[in-house]
Amino acid sequence: QALAAKTGPSAILVSHRQKGNPILNHVKLLPWEYEDIPADYVIGRTTCALFLSLKYHRLHPEYIYSRIRSLGGKYNLRILLTMVDIPNHEDSLKELSKTSIVNNLTLILCWSAPEAAHYLELFKSSENAQPTAIRSQQAQSYKESLVEFVTTPRSINKSDAASLISTFGSLQNAINAQPEQINTVPGWGEKKVRAWTHAVREDFRIET
Amino acid sequence: MPPERANPPVKLSLPLQYQQDIFTELRVEDELVILARGLGLLRLVTNLLHFYDAAGNNLVLIVGADDRENEWIGEALAEHYAISKTPLARGLKVINTERASVPMREKIYAEGGILSVTSRILVVDLLSKLLDPEKITGMLVLHAEKVVATSLEAFIVRIYRQANKVGFLKAFSDSPEPFTTGFAPLANMMRNLFLRKTSLWPRFHVTVAESLEGHRKAEVIELEVPMNDKMREIQNAVLECVETSISELKKSNTGLDMEEWTLDSALHRNFDVSIRRQLDPIWHRVSFRTRQIVSDLTDLRAILHALLTYDAVSFVKYLDTIVAAHSPPPGSTKHNYSPWLFLDAAHALFQTAKSRVYQGRLTNDMAPSLSTSFSATLQPVLEEQPKWIVLADVLEEIERDTYFNPTPAEESNSVILIMCSDQRTCRQLREYLATMHTQIDSNFDEQMENTDGISEPKASAGIFLRRKLREYLNWKGTVANINKNLSTTPNTPAGKSRDSSAPLNPHQGRPPPNKRRRVRGGGTTALVPARAPNTSVQTEVELPGQVSGLLDEIQPTAAEETQKDEIVIDDLENMEDYYELYDMNDLIMIHPFDGDMDEHILEEVRPRYIIMYEPDAAFIRRVEVYRSSHVGRNVRVYFMYYGGSVEEQRYLSAVRREKDAFTKLIKEKGNMAVTITHDKSAEDPQEQFLRTVNTRIAGGGRLAATSAPPRVVVDVREFRSALPSLLHGNNIIVVPCQLTVGDYVLTPDICVERKSVRDLISSLRNGRLYNQTETMLQHYKTPLLLIEFDQSKSFTFDAFASAVNPGASFFTDYGFSSAGVGTSLPTSSSLANPLNPKSPQHMLVLLMTAFPRLKIIWSSSPYQTAEIFAELKKNNPEPDPIRAVQLGLDIDIGTSSSASAGRGADVMAATGIEHRIFNKLPQDMLSAVPGVTPQALERLILETGNVHEIANMSVEQLDPLVGKEVARKIVGFFRKSVFED
Repeated sequence: QALAAKTGPSAILVSHRQKGNPILNHVKLLPWEYEDIPADYVIGRTTCALFLSLKYHRLHPEYIYSRIRSLGGKYNLRILLTMVDIPNHEDSLKELSKTSIVNNLTLILCWSAPEAAHYLELFKSSENAQPTAIRSQQAQSYKESLVEFVTTPRSINKSDAASLISTFGSLQNAINAQPEQINTVPGWGEKKVRAWTHAVREDFRIET
Repeated sequence: MPPERANPPVKLSLPLQYQQDIFTELRVEDELVILARGLGLLRLVTNLLHFYDAAGNNLVLIVGADDRENEWIGEALAEHYAISKTPLARGLKVINTERASVPMREKIYAEGGILSVTSRILVVDLLSKLLDPEKITGMLVLHAEKVVATSLEAFIVRIYRQANKVGFLKAFSDSPEPFTTGFAPLANMMRNLFLRKTSLWPRFHVTVAESLEGHRKAEVIELEVPMNDKMREIQNAVLECVETSISELKKSNTGLDMEEWTLDSALHRNFDVSIRRQLDPIWHRVSFRTRQIVSDLTDLRAILHALLTYDAVSFVKYLDTIVAAHSPPPGSTKHNYSPWLFLDAAHALFQTAKSRVYQGRLTNDMAPSLSTSFSATLQPVLEEQPKWIVLADVLEEIERDTYFNPTPAEESNSVILIMCSDQRTCRQLREYLATMHTQIDSNFDEQMENTDGISEPKASAGIFLRRKLREYLNWKGTVANINKNLSTTPNTPAGKSRDSSAPLNPHQGRPPPNKRRRVRGGGTTALVPARAPNTSVQTEVELPGQVSGLLDEIQPTAAEETQKDEIVIDDLENMEDYYELYDMNDLIMIHPFDGDMDEHILEEVRPRYIIMYEPDAAFIRRVEVYRSSHVGRNVRVYFMYYGGSVEEQRYLSAVRREKDAFTKLIKEKGNMAVTITHDKSAEDPQEQFLRTVNTRIAGGGRLAATSAPPRVVVDVREFRSALPSLLHGNNIIVVPCQLTVGDYVLTPDICVERKSVRDLISSLRNGRLYNQTETMLQHYKTPLLLIEFDQSKSFTFDAFASAVNPGASFFTDYGFSSAGVGTSLPTSSSLANPLNPKSPQHMLVLLMTAFPRLKIIWSSSPYQTAEIFAELKKNNPEPDPIRAVQLGLDIDIGTSSSASAGRGADVMAATGIEHRIFNKLPQDMLSAVPGVTPQALERLILETGNVHEIANMSVEQLDPLVGKEVARKIVGFFRKSVFED
């Protein structure tokens, strides 16, 4: 149900309605061009976006509904790119959350024009990307994994990770160490020791 | 209310007047008792509990007690029982996660008695009516200061009060400080607790003062120990670092409330925490540097503490690890260094610390002529902590005292009890005293003379410190390896280095000298002329020859050889036999301060002499209470602190703050309007009806009035968050279930996965969210991803506006810092490489592209979420808990699904809820291990016991679970030794 014949352009398609929108100034990495389209932006073969500023929404609450209607059933992924530019946003956002679910829109919040533009660019550039990056764990260096592993329990920080590994040599030793041994590591007070040994020995499953 | 009839004999153990007063008050009325620390709160609680226990036929719940308190209460109740022999008393039953399945819990609840239940279990049981709130006789809430509006305890109290108006409810707290922050804090807290009356018992309360300051006062001797010059120097250096850090913070964060950011407040216990709290709302916007400074302040505070408590050698070692942890990996730019490490003062700090341990032979003067380089040989200095000598003196004095005037037989043992702040200090003192003692034995008369071959006369800690130094030097030898091992990335994939523009410089931890001109931090930090500018503190590295010389110097001598090695682990196998050998009268006991447990120690040990190695206000009061409670027990207290030190300041300010808090509370109590308990069920019944009427008559449909209030199925694991409580507060019925798919089920179609910002990033990165979304899509028409922000933090993702350092994109705790927006270079690189997304936004975009049907809700706080949920539920059918539970499960539990509306208990019983609860923390740890995919994680947590077990498994053992490659990765991760080359 994609717009026929409009596929393929490497540019972001922008509706004429969006003329003068400051976010266009920030779309710098990808080309964009005006085009006659029902949505505000077309950022992929089957992806479109409507732009809404909450400030405007508060003044003209009916506007967005008319725009949604004009979209019809087109596009597969329909983004409602909402700029949060008022301080008391709660009620509007509550309403938009509901609306977006009823009308099959995906709500995206941004807080500034550059961020909005960045989203457009990201959508366009990952149009054909595979989601491999978010499907599995990212490769990390040993130190990064180590720090992440050790600092998972609250109250244990980076320095503690370093002192732990430099005392015991390997993680295995650190895990096997008795609380009294860990307590001799500089910086490791009782609370941390308890948190660590508890985390390491705690069963995955809670048995009955 | 408690039975007031003349009942079985209840024997209480409350000897002091104020304790009796509080008890009588509590017996009659529901109130919140705030007692000063150390005045024996738990003793009151147990007496009160015993009172109910003895009456029998009760169901009294204790909420908010931790494990040790449970133990304490259990023991105390048993003791009371043994004394008063009441037939009905049954003691304490504890329900926490490890034990008790659903049927077991049901049985325990039916039996009644005194129960202590973990909040998370209790709330689920109350909601699922496994425990009917109306059957509860009463509830005691401990740690009332933690009952804020969104807490589980407040939730429990609310459920209880809604269904049960007659049961008693009493709350206790022994820390007044949390009650004084915020607007009308006491009144708010009272509202959360559904209480109307407070009763305040500060130390300066007349009755308390009279009870404690009567004729049976403890004899106190105060010893102000001066710090030696080097310690003072180090302290000043650290304080200077703190000051600079603070001024740097002030400079880069204008527009914050900085009245309190002074050096003075830096001495407080939680200075860094309070700064952190102030910065939290704008945390995403503060620069990397600010974040680093905030974390540095924590380190600096730890250094201050370590200076006073660690021995000289351990202190140096601690400093070394701090430097090691903060040094950047080779090849990264300098901004990763903490700014204070470049200060003059930091240099002085490290040098002085080192000079307390060893020194070049030629520069023998104690003066801090630090820039002088070390000469050819090094010599151990091994300075002792000043308190040690004082301690030795005091012990000697006590010994003399007991020898010359052997006291008539009285109730105290002549045990010497030494109290200090933590286990580490305990061990240090134990070791010191042990080695000191042997020397005294070897030559009686000249105890300060050392015989083990060191030329100059040394104080008696020699053996101990020399051993420490040997260990340290050995350790030091491996550090280089460690650093190398930690910083090398075995197979660097492209684009992983954080800042690829930086020159790679594998030989040194520092950029080449010609890069020096770069200005850091606005060039404000003063640099030392003596040292090359821009170098960090760890420049002086002793030559290996010197170190080995030093090692030779301190080779164990014959006298030392006879000493046992440091005993870290003592398998206390036949501890009882071992300890019975000693007579209570000539023991020296060393104990750490341990909150309420100290009371037990005092009662059991009955010491004549107490040495407080470190000040602690609560313990002083405990001694007072102990002394006043017993007629015949004389106590002499020696009280030690470092004069003019942080320690003294901290102690004084702690005392002052508690006093101020009480003063404030008394004032607020005086001005407080009457709290009227908010009664939900007294609401207009018509309104309740109208709320459930569907007024939308679309297409001439029927007017539907559902009799049931709105219902939400909530995963039991979600009860850690505030949201279920708020949903309940919004008149939505919360049905706790064990869900496999999603966290909340709002309608038959809508299922929600809740993620805090932090969770969101981590689960995007490790692929968990992808899988969760996939399963949600399989089972629900409208899966929702709820991104919930913290209320106290700002409601925004983006940080670029004030990212001072736009060139680098850091992933911090809160992710979303400089997302690359508006800065051309990182943006283009992130755009260029969708396989390696830089920003969370990018990952989110990938998720949406992959799942167009996934909807996202953004919520600024749990409160907002509750409202959105209510909105989404409007005009929609209610979810079916049975179905929600069954989705994603293989087994069929439909057999019991005919049960009306699936009341939680049935559902829980049906799904065998307790069989399927997993602990989150070890799972999170495991998912950080390289190679552990979500699939592998699932296999591992089902097939193995805990992290410890996995760490000790071999490739062969892991292979059948996760496959060869992953197994190899896991084993490699755990076994990799940083000592090796």
